[in-house]
Amino acid sequence: MTTYQEFIQQNEDRDGVRFSWNLWPSSRLEATRLVVPVSCLFTPLKERPNLPPVQYEPVLCSRANCKAVLNPLCQVDFRAKIWACNFCFQRNPFPPSYAGISDVNQPAELMPQFSTIEYIVQRGPAAPLIFLYVVDTCLEEEDLQALKESLQMSLSLLPPNALVGLITFGRMVQVHELSCEGIAKSYVFRGTKDLTAKQIQEMLGLTKPAVTGQQGRPLAPQDAAATCKFLQPVHRVDMNLTDLLGELQRDPWPVPQGKRPLRSTGVALSVAVGLLEGTFPNTGARVMLFIGGPPTQGPGMVVGDELKTPIRSWHDIQKDNARHLKKATKYYEALANRSATNGHSIDIYACALDQTGLLEMKCLSNLTGGHIVMGDSFNTSLFKQTFQRVFSKDYNGDFRMAFGGVLEVKVKELGIGGTSQWKVCGLNPSTTLGIYFEVVNQHNAPVPQGGRGAVQFVTQYQHSNTQRRIRVTTIARNWADAQSQIQHIESSFDQEAAAVLMARLGVFRAESEEGPDVLRWLDRQLIRLCQKFGQFNKDDPTSFRLSESLSLYPQFMFHLRRSPFLQVFNNSPDESSYYRHHFVRQDLTQSLIMIQPILYSYSFHGPPEPVLLDSSSILPDRILLMDTFFQLVIYHGETIAQWRKAGYQEMAEYENFKQLLQAPLDDAQEILQTRFPMPRYIDTEHGGSQARFLLSKVNPSQTHNNLYAWGQETGAPILTDDVSLQVFMDHLKKLAVSSSA
Amino acid sequence: MLMNGVVPGNQERGWNDPPQFSYGLQVAHGPQRNLLNKRPPPALTSGAGAPPAAPPSSNPLAPPPCAVAPPLLNPAGPPPGAVATPPPPHLGQMRTKREAAISQSESEPEVEGVMSVLNGALAACRRAVKAQVCNEVAKRLHLMEDSWRSGRLSLPVRRRMDTLSAELQKGRWDAADDIHRSLMVDHVTEVSQWMVGVKRLIAETRNLSPELLEPLQKVRGPVEDSAEPVREPVKEPGELQQSLQLVQKEEEPDSAEPAQNPVEPVQDPVEPVQDPVSES
Repeated sequence: MTTYQEFIQQNEDRDGVRFSWNLWPSSRLEATRLVVPVSCLFTPLKERPNLPPVQYEPVLCSRANCKAVLNPLCQVDFRAKIWACNFCFQRNPFPPSYAGISDVNQPAELMPQFSTIEYIVQRGPAAPLIFLYVVDTCLEEEDLQALKESLQMSLSLLPPNALVGLITFGRMVQVHELSCEGIAKSYVFRGTKDLTAKQIQEMLGLTKPAVTGQQGRPLAPQDAAATCKFLQPVHRVDMNLTDLLGELQRDPWPVPQGKRPLRSTGVALSVAVGLLEGTFPNTGARVMLFIGGPPTQGPGMVVGDELKTPIRSWHDIQKDNARHLKKATKYYEALANRSATNGHSIDIYACALDQTGLLEMKCLSNLTGGHIVMGDSFNTSLFKQTFQRVFSKDYNGDFRMAFGGVLEVKVKELGIGGTSQWKVCGLNPSTTLGIYFEVVNQHNAPVPQGGRGAVQFVTQYQHSNTQRRIRVTTIARNWADAQSQIQHIESSFDQEAAAVLMARLGVFRAESEEGPDVLRWLDRQLIRLCQKFGQFNKDDPTSFRLSESLSLYPQFMFHLRRSPFLQVFNNSPDESSYYRHHFVRQDLTQSLIMIQPILYSYSFHGPPEPVLLDSSSILPDRILLMDTFFQLVIYHGETIAQWRKAGYQEMAEYENFKQLLQAPLDDAQEILQTRFPMPRYIDTEHGGSQARFLLSKVNPSQTHNNLYAWGQETGAPILTDDVSLQVFMDHLKKLAVSSSA
Repeated sequence: MLMNGVVPGNQERGWNDPPQFSYGLQVAHGPQRNLLNKRPPPALTSGAGAPPAAPPSSNPLAPPPCAVAPPLLNPAGPPPGAVATPPPPHLGQMRTKREAAISQSESEPEVEGVMSVLNGALAACRRAVKAQVCNEVAKRLHLMEDSWRSGRLSLPVRRRMDTLSAELQKGRWDAADDIHRSLMVDHVTEVSQWMVGVKRLIAETRNLSPELLEPLQKVRGPVEDSAEPVREPVKEPGELQQSLQLVQKEEEPDSAEPAQNPVEPVQDPVEPVQDPVSES
């Protein structure tokens, strides 16, 4: 008999789905009373080494507004060769190729263990992958050299048949012709003037000439591939392109004292998007933008070229003092939408010590499924290795990236199928979407006969080996009457999934509302949840208890409130955008790490063990390893640090100490070698300046305010006025049990 | 103290820059796995969880307590605070590899061997591939040879080029390709100018029909090291990565030395001319 924990884990392993509630309330009113909406985290392309794809087309329901895919929940009459759609109850005949099926010879898609199944479908000629590099040349010499080398290296990582293109920009924007012979040519655009897609395509010679007054039309894809001199197969142009990259110079326009370089990122992107739109609409493509500073001229500029005008901070934005913000954001959103419509992803690789305008440009990646990588310089291991990992391969030797994703979600409502569709464009095996459902049954309507609700996720995409594939996941959960079965519903609560789903809602609100309002909203939801499910005596906070399925939830909310996703204090707008970008696309485990970092302790007292993210875990004779997803911090307690300084690890009879020092490093390596993006690596100790990364994350159960109230001095007091988890919980309990709700 | 095949990050350009891993180490891993993913059970809801009672260390100079630690190498245990002249650091495994590395310094790769294979492959390509492409490849091979002879290539690069040419000659195209990739990833600054020529050469050579591969087979390839304790014959791509890691380990102590001028008279090959049957 499986527990809910096991049930939840099995479902995640098989289908890549985690629901906030695994029993669904049968009416809309009851659903809202549950506070946390019925919602799920879904990883469409979860890596499934044991799921070989099938090489035939999926069987669809014939009802025009249904078209659900045949799945294990469907009723089947093997003799009559008919199946009943579980979403709309339409009876459908099987196609002729299924004539041989029987209940002992079932097709894979009917078997329960194939609730997730992948189809390879052939639709037209295989389209190549396309990579368009858009490179900022207003970089320091050292950075430009490092970037050039990384780009040259990447040519060795691309598949030989992929198409590649190069646009460089600074004050002007240059589109490079990649012909194999003769003199290198490029088309130059002014960086100040925005052009329409049509103008760009005409100027690049991508449209057929007008014939007797007809408008120029874009070339057909086959023509485009043959004649598009800007996007050529790697195997044909790699030598020339390597040389071209090697010869790239810094932007030649001199930068006067007290000024920023003139960087025309807006026009460069417009040309890139227009180029791809005109040559390869609806084919998997990746625009990879490399920038070393903010856009300073032309459409989409984020800051002017005067250094004395700093780039906007949160303070500026709150005081409505960010001149270019709205206009630039709107500009990039328009580009992002065009790109998404065509199934093209945009990555941003921003390496600079100051901000580069990620706040305005984040939509380019967020709406197209592209990456955002943020670093200090292109000449760092963080950038170089993160960039290499873009091209990482799976167990089959195929790229992990996928293109042109379209996700359809189908639900059953009282016998009528309803569908929603989203374009996801860029996908990888960890991309996880949050999907929020609305229960539409009227209150007091009877629970549907058979008592199960079903959801089907259909993801169409282009695999990196250029095959078109369709992955279908069909899941079901029981309906429950909230009046009589509230305990069962409560025990079906997945607090980890719920925490991440509510956090994503919070981030969404934070990006469109004032900061304090989001925290108030989050607190209110938490209090309501505790009022609904807590066991307590009215007005008696000490009696408050939460069942096991909810016991961790308040802690998650406590850490979420302090996290950089909701707290913008101490981060620039670009940093906040970067953290949020990664938070809303990672899978559940990684997202939880971001909300509440993991802390492991290494000492002579026993094997490594997880410890509370609390100041009391910071002890002199321990080494702590903290993983926040974005940083890996190894913190040496005071005594450990002194021993290390004295060099005991070099002495043969203190081999055990050497091993102790090495243990967290070994564990950190595992993460460092696989995570995307690569985290920062901080090796620090008691009293070290970098220790602040640890001190700011732990629950400050001991501060300078309550130190003497503790009696025994254990653990490191944190100098903060932040509320501790204990105080937070006390307040929460008081509010939850209060009869003046 | 990080493992071999790992180099610290660039702390001057990026604060807390993470260490850099070699191509072999990165490729060997599957998708992200989370070994560190546990949290302790929540603290008691009434008040804070009592912090674990750990004995505060009063004497910062005291050695790690040996009572609960793994056994010390010296069972007598050190007296607190009074340690005699410390023994040399225990490098363990590294030592045997280092000895092995020293014992095979005579297997310093020879540029002639490598060039003859590459030029042989190029000659084979000239009959089927456009002249312009072949000339471009030749230009880059020349650049490489130049860099090698003037001592601008580090030992790890020379070693791997040696292995690459051996794989190329045996017709093990994927292995050769993988080595080129590992060189581009790990040593891009040294090789970026010419490596794409080698890459193209591999790509074109593998597409040639077998009879055209004769000039490549006839070439006297690099001398096989038969008595090599570290570098094992590579059968599968997975083994290649392992052997690359081992090569990395032995290269670490040597990488600091300036590249020696490898010009020596070509030794008479110990083995007979390669069998003309091609492997593909």
